Amino acid sequence: MSAYDVAIVGGGPAGLAAAERTLAAGLSTCIVDEQQRPGGQILRQPPATFAVAGWLDGAPYRQARALLARVAADKALHWRGGVSVLGIAPDADGFVLSLSDGCEGLRDVRARRVLVAGGCYDMPVALPGWTLPGVMSAGAVQTLVKAQQVLPGQRIVLFGTHPLMIVLAQQIVAAGGRVDAVCFAQPFAVIAKAALAHLARALWTPAPLLAAAAGLAALRRSGVPVRFSAPVVRCEGSDQGVMRVVIAGTHGEEALACDVAAQCYGFLPQADLVRQIGARVRWSGPAGGWEAVHDDAMRASVPGLYVAGETTGVAGSDAAMVEGALAGIGMARDAGALGEPAAQRAMRQVRRARARMQGFIDLLRAVADPCAFLPEAAGETLLCRCEDVSAGAVDAAIADAGHLGQAYGASAIKLRCRAGMGLCQGRSCEHALIRRIAAARGCAERDVAGFRARFPARAVSIADMLDGPA
Amino acid sequence: MAAVPTSFDILIVGGGLVGAASAWHLARLGLKVLLVERGHPNAGASGQNAGSLHFQIERRFLEQGEQAAVDGARIVTLNRLAIEEWRGLENLLGRPLDVAMHGGLMVAETEADMDLLAFKVARENALGLDTQLLDAAQLRARAPCLSPALAGAAWLESEGHANPRILVDAYAAGAQAQGAQIRTGTAVTAMAMARDGTYRVTLDGPDGALAVQVPRVLLAAGHRVPHLAGLLGLNVPLYAAPLMMSVTDRTEPVLPYLIQHVGARLSMKQTEDGNLLIGGGWASRLAKRADGTPDLDQPAIMDRANLRANLAVAARVMPLLKRRALLRTWTGTTCISADQLPIVGEIAAAPGLFVAAGGSLFTLGPVLARLLAQTIAQGSAQGIGAGPLALFQPRRFAHLDAFAVLP
Repeated sequence: MSAYDVAIVGGGPAGLAAAERTLAAGLSTCIVDEQQRPGGQILRQPPATFAVAGWLDGAPYRQARALLARVAADKALHWRGGVSVLGIAPDADGFVLSLSDGCEGLRDVRARRVLVAGGCYDMPVALPGWTLPGVMSAGAVQTLVKAQQVLPGQRIVLFGTHPLMIVLAQQIVAAGGRVDAVCFAQPFAVIAKAALAHLARALWTPAPLLAAAAGLAALRRSGVPVRFSAPVVRCEGSDQGVMRVVIAGTHGEEALACDVAAQCYGFLPQADLVRQIGARVRWSGPAGGWEAVHDDAMRASVPGLYVAGETTGVAGSDAAMVEGALAGIGMARDAGALGEPAAQRAMRQVRRARARMQGFIDLLRAVADPCAFLPEAAGETLLCRCEDVSAGAVDAAIADAGHLGQAYGASAIKLRCRAGMGLCQGRSCEHALIRRIAAARGCAERDVAGFRARFPARAVSIADMLDGPA
Repeated sequence: MAAVPTSFDILIVGGGLVGAASAWHLARLGLKVLLVERGHPNAGASGQNAGSLHFQIERRFLEQGEQAAVDGARIVTLNRLAIEEWRGLENLLGRPLDVAMHGGLMVAETEADMDLLAFKVARENALGLDTQLLDAAQLRARAPCLSPALAGAAWLESEGHANPRILVDAYAAGAQAQGAQIRTGTAVTAMAMARDGTYRVTLDGPDGALAVQVPRVLLAAGHRVPHLAGLLGLNVPLYAAPLMMSVTDRTEPVLPYLIQHVGARLSMKQTEDGNLLIGGGWASRLAKRADGTPDLDQPAIMDRANLRANLAVAARVMPLLKRRALLRTWTGTTCISADQLPIVGEIAAAPGLFVAAGGSLFTLGPVLARLLAQTIAQGSAQGIGAGPLALFQPRRFAHLDAFAVLP
């Protein structure tokens, strides 16, 4: 199989924007995505057979939808949906991507340049009762509502620190659902202070701020209680499912009945493939996870590898679109398909757009900062739900490692207690392990070595590994 | 440079299985031990290997022709001691180590494989190892989970597996309890022999540089031993061997035995937790520096073709494997010696300098560490050239140090 000029991992706003630029420069371009249809999480499309009236017709989605429409209509784009990238390895042509769709066997895509625009995922946060059926991530609820037009429950409570809860609550209400409460763990004063500190620069791009304010007002109008200083400390229920969340308010504990509790403390960059191939990453504050390091043309530390969007730090879909465009221009330039002066002109334009967004991104990060408001997980509460490793067992492993010296990272703890060894391959608990190790060692999270990212980036059936061309 | 904190009888370099086990034994024998580890205990090959307890003659000896097989057979004597060592280890260390010795099968797919097995079993039996040849029907009765297409197997009831994730901790914690000092994140940056025959070693650790002067040094740093010996101008013929191991998701108990293959590289077992571990000596690739030379500071790189070949052998032997999910393939770098046998003992040209490294050291590590510690504690004049360690003496490579310059 001949190599593409460009392979893009991830068909969300960043990947689509990059493809638009590389296709315009005449480069053969392939996008690989786990979803069947392009759009990423932000524009998660219903299956083609659904007819959905008014799908994501709000203003915040307009630009991304226009991009999606333009790129999806381009016949030159090779779209490979419904497949996972298990690994990226250096190859004579540049890179080889190992793909699996779970049934057809291993397939390869070769490309001279690769852009990883893998997006982000909900940060799972351990607290007592978080493994009960019905305790979900906000992203999962949103996916059900957006892409499947399904409401996961009759009485939904959202809790956490991230303002996405406002957007999600609106979408649930618009879909005919009931939101019993939106519980921000932080006091309103903390949010206001963080917002004010960044307000001046954030006003360079007023649209998202206005949208947020309008969303909050609309939510109030529809009677959804939005509460502050309302940290959820545990979820309670039975094997049948969650029945209530318990809030530790200023006046003691209070139970809120629900059948779905969706947590929303922030998002972690998808950087497994970047880490697997040995490109440099750094701790992504404040929510955590690892973000890919890049230069001003979105080049990662491995030659030929580019990164864009949430993989480089969670900053929202507008920033992802701009970064994707920057990476696309950079790839076209580096491939010799775009002259240096034209590339510089185009890059200057997008960099200006990206710079204007930074104020709002900083504001959102400060407002959503979960670090001081993460619930306590101790004793029997599971930290690694794949391998049933409790917080107590992790703490014991950390204490044990501490006896032997200070130079231990997440892998040393994983070896001792199995946390991170399961089906999710550590994506869920790594951040929690790193926070605990940093606390025990008295250092910053960024100074704790994370798990070694291994092949395959997604668990794959051995039958699938054996099938397919050699 | 900080002052020498206290005086030690021996410096051990390397916090893997051999280093930690030697530290424990030596501390119990009354020696003042300092162990230094450049990373974290168990971070190297000891923690990356798949934990097989294999006592049959290894395929790597059989695949190099008859003479190598005869040479390899000499290791059987030590294997018999290793079996006893493993049987008593959990009691000795007072901790569970997930030691499972429910038996091991080296399977055969072809008639040629069966001939090789018969040759191997005869040799093992002559050396007192109780392997038995099973035909296809006997194998099916013993292990119905394996493919009915297999031609037979060699069975050894003492084989099995243990948990490499916890063994080194057990030794290291034991050594500490016995008074050994362990310094992690501490690398050896220079080493010299003084006129009085002691070793002056410069260490670089979290608190900066540190010099120690010790009468004895044990190099137990796996593939880094040649580099360390090189600091003294000495040659230890060990070569880095980057390997791969893979693990599946957990499943109900299906495989109580250690599985190896006489005609192909394979080791397969089910852990206490239910995961299936697959390996058997398939190569990964060493990372390279910009100038193209191997970079042992970086982890070895997974080789997908070898991974698929490894999984193919495993699935041929146990077809139900195809229904499992591959969770992770990891790499680890062990080492092999010039003649494939471990190098364990005192370097002839440098009295007081000991080495223990070189292949199969999960299975053999505990017994080798015990024997070596006894040799060291008794004084180097005794124990050389006799006993079960004789086969592994570094002096078989003494010619390599014919041109070394020491005080």
